[in-house]
Amino acid sequence: MGDCIWIHYARPRPHWYGLDESVKREKLAAWKAVHDSSARNGGVCHGRFHVRGQHDFETVETWRFADAEAAFRHWAALSAAGYGVCHAFGNHLRRAGVAPRP
Amino acid sequence: MTLLTEATDVFAAAEPSGRCVVAFLAKRQPVPAGAFGPPEREAIAAEFRALQAEGWRLSVRAMFDPEDAAEPAAFDTGFAHAVDVAGAFEAPSLSGALAGTVRLERAGWSRRFATEWLLGPREFATVGGLDDAARHEWGFLAFWEWNDAWAAATGPERREYDAECDIAFKGDVALGIGIAGRHRLDWASSWHHIGIWEAPSLAAIDLAMRGHEAAADFKFTTSRHVVGRRRPLAELVAAD
Repeated sequence: MGDCIWIHYARPRPHWYGLDESVKREKLAAWKAVHDSSARNGGVCHGRFHVRGQHDFETVETWRFADAEAAFRHWAALSAAGYGVCHAFGNHLRRAGVAPRP
Repeated sequence: MTLLTEATDVFAAAEPSGRCVVAFLAKRQPVPAGAFGPPEREAIAAEFRALQAEGWRLSVRAMFDPEDAAEPAAFDTGFAHAVDVAGAFEAPSLSGALAGTVRLERAGWSRRFATEWLLGPREFATVGGLDDAARHEWGFLAFWEWNDAWAAATGPERREYDAECDIAFKGDVALGIGIAGRHRLDWASSWHHIGIWEAPSLAAIDLAMRGHEAAADFKFTTSRHVVGRRRPLAELVAAD
C-alpha cells in the first residue's frame, strides 16, 4: 500500500486551444505514456474527475504512490513532456494513514 | 532529477544532493489555557534536535553556511503579513521532508500554528550570502510561477527573458543580498519555485524589486512575496 496521496488539479492554458490537432494528439500520447509508466511502477490512479462547475480548475486526478520520490518522478516526467507548459495546475501531497493527535 | 530550466550567469545547478526545502507560512492560533506550554515547547525543541542529527538544516542561514547556524531560526512576519512566522528548512530527502513536517506537527507545532508547508528539491546552488552574517537579518521568500504568457512564448523569447532577469539578479547580489539558490515546488504546490534571500535591510529588498520590475521579471511570472526579520525559532514558538 502506498504511503502518499498525490492530488492534481489542472486546466488547459489558453494557448492549448490554438494548437494543431496533430500536435495535441502527440502531446496527449506522450502524457498517457507517462501515466502508463507510473502505473507499471506501482502508482495507482483513482481516476480523473471533472470539477469545472465548482472550481477554477477543469479536472482533479488522485494517485497513490509508494513515497514522495515516486510522486516527484511522475510529475517530473510529465513536466519533461511539456505538460506544465500546456496546463495551469495545483498539486498536493499528503501522507496516508496519519491520524491527528488527540 | 530533471530541472525545469537551465542554469544562468548568476545561478549554477546545485550538486545533486536530494536535499529538499521545507518552507512554511505559519499563523499563530489562539490556544486555550493548558493546551500549549513548556512541555510542548520542549517537545518541539527535541524534535528540532532529532532532525538536525538526521542532517536537516533548520534556518535559511544554515543553507549558506551550515557551520554558522546551529540554532533553528525563521522570520518574524506578522508586522507585514497575515502569517506570523515564515521560514525554510532543508531536509536530506523528499520523504524525510514530508515525514518531518508530520513529526513537528505532532510534537505540538500544530497546537501553536496553522501552517502551510511547501516542499521541493534544490535546483540551484546558493549565491553570495557569506559576508558578515549580522548584516543579513532580513528574510525574503518569493513563491512564484511561470504564467500563461511564459507558457505561450517561444524558446528565444524565454532565453531573452532569462538574460534580462539575470541582470536584475546581479543587481540583487550587488546590494548585499544572499540568494539561497532555487528550489522546485511545482510537484506538490501550485507555485513552481521558491527563491529565498537574506538581505541587509527592507530598503535593499524594495530596491531589488524595482530592479526586477525594470527587467520585466513579472511579464512572465506571478509571485507572492513575504518579508520578515530573523529570530530564533524558540522565541517565535514561545511568543504570544
